[in-house]
Amino acid sequence: MSANDINVSYVPTWCAGCGNYGIINALKKAMSSLNLDLEQTVLATGIGCASKISQYVNTYRIETLHGRSLPVATGVKLANHNLTVIAEGGDGDGMGLGMGHFIHTARRNLDITYFIHNNQIYGLTKGQTSPTSDLGSITKFTPAPLGNVEQPINIVKMALNAGATFVARGFVGNSTQLVALMIEAIKHPGFAVVDILQPCVTFNHVNTYPWYQQRVKVIDNMEGYDPTSLEKALSFATLWGDEIPIGLYYRNIRPTFNESLPQLSREPLAKQPLDNIDIAGLMKEFY
Amino acid sequence: MSKRYYTCLFAGEAGYGVMSAGSTIAKGANRNGLWPFVVNEYPSLIQGGLNSCLVRLAEQSIASYEENIDFLGLFSQQGFDCYADKLSSDAIVLYDPATTQVDKSKVPAGALLYPVSLASFIPKGGAKIMINSAMLGGFCALTGYPKHIVIDTIKSEFPNAKVQQENILIVEEVYAHVVSSLPSEKIFPFDFQKSADPKILMNGNEAISIAAIKAGCKFSAGYPMTPGSSVLSYLADHGRNFGLVFKQAEDEIAAINMLIGASYAGVRTIGSTSGGGFALMVEALGFAAIAEVPIVMVNAQRGGPSTGLPTRTAQADLNFVVYASQGEFPRIVVAPGDIEECFYETFRVFNLVDKYQVPCIILTDKYLADSSVSHLPFTTDHLTIDRGKIFEERATREEPYLRYQNTPDGVSERAFPGQIGGRHIATSYTHGEDGFYSSGNKEYAINEPTVVVESMDKLFNKLPSMENDIPGIKLHGPADADLTIIAWGSTKGAILEAIEQATSLGISVNFLQVVYMSPFPTTAIELVLQSAKKTLLIEGNKTAQLGTILTAHTGYKADHSLLKYNSRAFVPSEILAKIKEVFF
Repeated sequence: MSANDINVSYVPTWCAGCGNYGIINALKKAMSSLNLDLEQTVLATGIGCASKISQYVNTYRIETLHGRSLPVATGVKLANHNLTVIAEGGDGDGMGLGMGHFIHTARRNLDITYFIHNNQIYGLTKGQTSPTSDLGSITKFTPAPLGNVEQPINIVKMALNAGATFVARGFVGNSTQLVALMIEAIKHPGFAVVDILQPCVTFNHVNTYPWYQQRVKVIDNMEGYDPTSLEKALSFATLWGDEIPIGLYYRNIRPTFNESLPQLSREPLAKQPLDNIDIAGLMKEFY
Repeated sequence: MSKRYYTCLFAGEAGYGVMSAGSTIAKGANRNGLWPFVVNEYPSLIQGGLNSCLVRLAEQSIASYEENIDFLGLFSQQGFDCYADKLSSDAIVLYDPATTQVDKSKVPAGALLYPVSLASFIPKGGAKIMINSAMLGGFCALTGYPKHIVIDTIKSEFPNAKVQQENILIVEEVYAHVVSSLPSEKIFPFDFQKSADPKILMNGNEAISIAAIKAGCKFSAGYPMTPGSSVLSYLADHGRNFGLVFKQAEDEIAAINMLIGASYAGVRTIGSTSGGGFALMVEALGFAAIAEVPIVMVNAQRGGPSTGLPTRTAQADLNFVVYASQGEFPRIVVAPGDIEECFYETFRVFNLVDKYQVPCIILTDKYLADSSVSHLPFTTDHLTIDRGKIFEERATREEPYLRYQNTPDGVSERAFPGQIGGRHIATSYTHGEDGFYSSGNKEYAINEPTVVVESMDKLFNKLPSMENDIPGIKLHGPADADLTIIAWGSTKGAILEAIEQATSLGISVNFLQVVYMSPFPTTAIELVLQSAKKTLLIEGNKTAQLGTILTAHTGYKADHSLLKYNSRAFVPSEILAKIKEVFF
């Protein structure tokens, strides 16, 4: 795989300074360092600023509906389990409309990777409160003086509780760590989630680069860190404020959904022959 | 006594094996030369309520039912209260006096009321469901239906030898008890004989399911919703042996999006739901259309709106299914009228969706989905798979691959993930030939109106060949009939039987069956209507939905209409009455 081959001729339309630039660069680096066969890779995204990433990475891609990247990715993986399947989208897409799918994909531990670009705001619809917006966030839909009065969703905590077997949080401002997390997430046999913190330079003037820089803390060096312990991971996941841990929270190996299906122990469904299927036996059951 | 049809109905609370009693005599009859038609009615609950199973038997192929009950087997009072007025003049009523009081003034004078303490034949500690075996013993004694056929059927249906023996013993005991009280042996009006050519006894959902397997469908996803679910459970159970994966999804939105993902990756897919579930799927239906990902979806209609009538039939989703979308796109909508069409049209649409890269909805209803009918096994030798235009893998190519290349017929080559040289983006956005969003970039933005027009025209350029490829209508009966019935879907069986009766009365009637609702077979319909003398529209809804679509496409308005929306299927007698009314 060459660096050129992963690029498309279109130029991203994200705002100057948008965190998505850092995320797409990290994704390309991760794919390149894994030497992923781009013909055997599918990127499924939702709709939103983050989801546009599928327009700019030269793999097989399916840009689905808002909130629906995970069920589409599920269908792709079950149809051809030899493919590397990555789902990607924003916090609104994944934690709003997509929340039901997120929880169920996590509990079934399908072998796919999910990168969530989390800027705590709706960008493409121009600045509304997201399910991950902090309490008090002032947006077009939760204006001053009240702001957002709903508890934000903590993606890491949610993923851990739902049964994801690889849970990490990255920050676009720490590119080295983000690339490493992405590599590990793609390699992980099971449902891998990376909550990627990123600023929205246009609509979120609170959670900015400096805001994150002052708070993020590499989890590996924190006291009591043990990514094999769900309990420890959950306890780190409660930290959101002055300290926001970034890194691998939790990793566990349990059978994946696709491994549990005997039908998938053979060639992928997509490669099965269709001609001359004999249904005489089925019909006999109705005699 | 000469009967053309013999109708048995078992009724009682859920949990007494009402359906099982009906199914036993239907299977036995089907294996021994008769042609059963089985209609189940049940409320949306697990225990209690009133379940009924109607089995209509004939010596020739049948496709409909009448509530003209020759044998009524009662497990509860409610069964008597509901069906007493539907007894034939010489009906037999078997009931357990412990649970059911029969009011003689409510039944025909010639009816035989026969009380048997059914429950007393269940051994101590035995399951209450075994009462249906007691019922069957009494049924055989009172009707002359051969007891050995019931016993053979029980043997084939109960794999557990102990359960088998317990039930057979109950059949024998009740049979002996009842026979001893009768002056003479009863003779069933039809002859039973072991069929040399076996027949299948199958419902619409089962026919759709085995057709999907035959068509090479390898993936299904869905969420339980009556009456669509039994397609999914059939595939979950029987599909495994054919390499098919069924995934129960968290909701219908996930289900259809899983189908889209799997189809994008190269697999044939089917889903099944009812109106409420289909409503949730509509956004993704448009996604499948604009991304040109073929999928097949069954909508087995039930009463609506909203939760409506979960277990009852209706034909009221036609407009919804034909027009459901944000924006415009071509689709295939087929409305099979019987299990044969369920089978063959399902197989056909799997080829058509691949050929035209469009979504398809198979529109059935609870009555068709759930009613079993006797039929010769489907012949399949002539069925061949056509996957349409598939991208040929190549390492190097002179021109870049364009997933949505404009072609005269609107169809472009599909590449599947994993194919070398076929990388592309499939998208829910309106897009150009390379799949890129039409206003997503400077290069495109300037040409957006042109790209949008080309993109829409590409979709609709498929229509002329689609129209030629579908068998849109069937005309049953003489072309020059005095009356033409226009109808669709599961009303077919009742209409055909009513026409047969009308013909014997000297009334000349034919039947224009609209099989494909989209693309609408306008030309074929106009040809028939040109020579139609008088028309009668028959539909299971309140607003004459096919009538509206017909008028929109042709300007034609039917002379008469018969609309039924009481949650039950049409029966031949009410159609015959209407034929007489408009004819004379």
